[in-house]
Amino acid sequence: VTDMMTNSRRTVLTGFGVISPIGSSPTAFWEALLAGTPGVHTITHIDPFALPSKMAGEVHGFSAKASIEKSYRRTLNAMARTVEFGVIGCQLAMQDAGLAKGTIPPERIGVEFASVMGATDLDDLGPASKRSMQPEAIAPDMDAWGTEGLDLVPPLWMLKYLPNMPACHATIIFDMQGPSNTQIPGDTAGAVALAEAARILRRGAADVMLVGGSEAKVHPLSLSRFNLFAEFSKRNDDPEGAIRPFDRDRDGTAPGEGAAAFTLETLDHALGRKAKIHGEVLSVASGVDRGLTGSGLAKVIRNALAAAGIQPGDVDHVNAHGVGTTRGDAFEARGIAAVFGKTVPVFAPLSRFGNLGAASCLLELSASVLALQHGQLPATLNHANPDPACPVAVHTGLPQRITRPHAVKLSYTELGQCSAIVLKKWSE
Amino acid sequence: MRRRVVITGMGVVTPLGHTVAELFASQIEGRTAVGPITRFDAHTFPTTFASEVKGFELGHFLRDVGRYYNCGLNTQFALAAAKQAVEDANLLDANKGDRSRMGVYLGSGEGSDEFPALVRGLAHASPKEGSGHVNGGEFVRVMLQWMNGPREGEQEMYTPAGHVAGEFALEGPNQACQTACAASSQAIGEALDIIRGGEADVMVAGGSHSMIHPLGVSGFNRLTALSQRNDSPRTASRPFDLHRDGFVIGEGAGLVVLEELEHAKKRGANIYAELTGYGTTADAFRMTDPHPQGRGAIRAMNDALADASIKPADIGYINAHGTSTQANDSTETAAIKSAFGDYAKRVPISSSKSMLGHLIAAAGVVELVISVMALRKGVVPPTINFQTPDPECDLDYVPNSAREVRFRHVLSNSFGFGGQNIALVASRFVD
Repeated sequence: VTDMMTNSRRTVLTGFGVISPIGSSPTAFWEALLAGTPGVHTITHIDPFALPSKMAGEVHGFSAKASIEKSYRRTLNAMARTVEFGVIGCQLAMQDAGLAKGTIPPERIGVEFASVMGATDLDDLGPASKRSMQPEAIAPDMDAWGTEGLDLVPPLWMLKYLPNMPACHATIIFDMQGPSNTQIPGDTAGAVALAEAARILRRGAADVMLVGGSEAKVHPLSLSRFNLFAEFSKRNDDPEGAIRPFDRDRDGTAPGEGAAAFTLETLDHALGRKAKIHGEVLSVASGVDRGLTGSGLAKVIRNALAAAGIQPGDVDHVNAHGVGTTRGDAFEARGIAAVFGKTVPVFAPLSRFGNLGAASCLLELSASVLALQHGQLPATLNHANPDPACPVAVHTGLPQRITRPHAVKLSYTELGQCSAIVLKKWSE
Repeated sequence: MRRRVVITGMGVVTPLGHTVAELFASQIEGRTAVGPITRFDAHTFPTTFASEVKGFELGHFLRDVGRYYNCGLNTQFALAAAKQAVEDANLLDANKGDRSRMGVYLGSGEGSDEFPALVRGLAHASPKEGSGHVNGGEFVRVMLQWMNGPREGEQEMYTPAGHVAGEFALEGPNQACQTACAASSQAIGEALDIIRGGEADVMVAGGSHSMIHPLGVSGFNRLTALSQRNDSPRTASRPFDLHRDGFVIGEGAGLVVLEELEHAKKRGANIYAELTGYGTTADAFRMTDPHPQGRGAIRAMNDALADASIKPADIGYINAHGTSTQANDSTETAAIKSAFGDYAKRVPISSSKSMLGHLIAAAGVVELVISVMALRKGVVPPTINFQTPDPECDLDYVPNSAREVRFRHVLSNSFGFGGQNIALVASRFVD
């Protein structure tokens, strides 16, 4: 236990970058959180007329071209939007950490990134598709696809979308030759990326790990797919009020897009280079709640608390995934209630910007990093009427004072993969 | 002292057999599984052949398969391989042991797009005359009618690891990574670290992937990564041969049960080998090309040897990444020379991909399984189709026929698009 506390095993967040529907710097993001600025609106990236759910948290005014490292600009033609978010998110975190290329010996810095396979840009496959469909046919002419269509597919097409491309580009831009891994278990990907980065630091395989996540689901193919299988809100006449975490009248979630990234380093290393510290990651646990009963999630939370060496009473707030689905919120609430009862306030920031998928965990975590730093907990938007099926104390109304130094961040997937992060306010 | 980790179960679904025994026998005999693509009509593609899993039915492995009906092959292969591995390790009974101390770590590939619906939708929403943007709103309208929702839901990337955990009551740490051709080796290496660190006692780790679908083959063909030896598919995968012209796309899954040594002993588990070494690095060079001197690969091998506390000369066999692409095979050769010095000339090296093709995310774990079997049986599989030596590939690749070799440690390499380099060391178990 003493070993756990030594500075070579403690891991702290240093660099910090966000790209989100409510702000694309930690400062802008924090101001929007405090002000209660909503980020979920009617979709504008495409005409959403046919979608049952027409709302999303969109990022506006994002230009990878304007932000990317100049020497790397030519590679943008091999990046889908989800990759662009990831790469620029990484740049923001590295800038904030003061880690220009070459600051850290290349083999002592690596990356853990939360990602998914991107959906194809329609125009990439449009011409090939058109060439391969005979009039009135319902399936492509495979002969035509092979002989004429294929040549119309951009040569680097596949590379634009591969899940590991944000990490790959980041390693090249910053000459990071340590471990590079890309986590893909859905909404828990950010948590397990952080978990693995911490393990890598503790086993001494690196001194600094860049940890990020990105996703761009507000895309015609992704929106079509998700509307067919996910529980999305139909509250199209009230987009800002659509996602209602743990509320009696919740009717589904909405997608968002963006990125969040941090640099994680051992405390020794951070102190040694006089880095600005945003918070300490005490522990991350993951596990599976088969059948979404809540008991598996509770077990994961208890494991995280135990690994952090703290009690439920030491926790200021639970930062829930709070996606606003009927079954999902009830499941998450059961898990939270089993550990914390109604004594610890639950904060669910997702209703402000939508579900960012692979980026969701780390963006949601960002809200608690800022809350602990500023000593104020913003409110949960759109929670008006408690639901007996969700026996938790959701924090609503005005921001409240932070009274304890720890926050617990939860995430989960539809198959019950769960994660819990214990974050601590930084103090010497 | 560091917790030791042993392999107590193994399972595979491959183009050369759906059991470990069948797979290894075919490797020793030097059989190939490569043939014309049957999954879809590829006869006008630049590459018309692949290494396909044949005769696979999930119902042969699991009783209740209805709920996996909409799953992709990535999930189905993973479930079948997991069933074998978990059963082999005698951990199938969900009431046995603390299941919250048993986790899953997959290097699993993505699901697939429904190609006919996607192409139809894109063509429909394209401008009728000339070029111009596809109309996103109209595309959405028709795709909502032409796609199958439950099928789409099962293509999400978290599903293989989620279903394996659910089916076999593996409620501990759950991770999944996708680092292209390095993924399942990386999953195994990081799962090793999870057990060493005490977060779990058992990790079912490995990977699963299929890209033998129209967009997978199209994508690789556009990158000119695949062999186009359409007149002789069976000799197309020729790692280290002068006339190699690309890799042969394969598919499948492999899972191994990694277990903390005392935990395994306490329950009297059969121990195949000890997993002793892991190295992981990034090239930080280019999207697809390996670093020309193989700097990341060298360090991954060195790190794995150091992790296992052994010297290069302790390695009795190297299972190479050996993809049969120009760049990989010469770079890997150079990297082995750097890492192994003079001994590089003497250590037997072979590429399973010469027979199996390239199982992409699942390649590393299947090659580790083969390596472990070679270690136990004292025989190493050959590199088949090795006909014309390449001056840049001048090591001992065990050409064309298997060889009896007794050894104690094996090193398995996996390198992926995106620059990830993974090396694993497995060792004969000595208490």
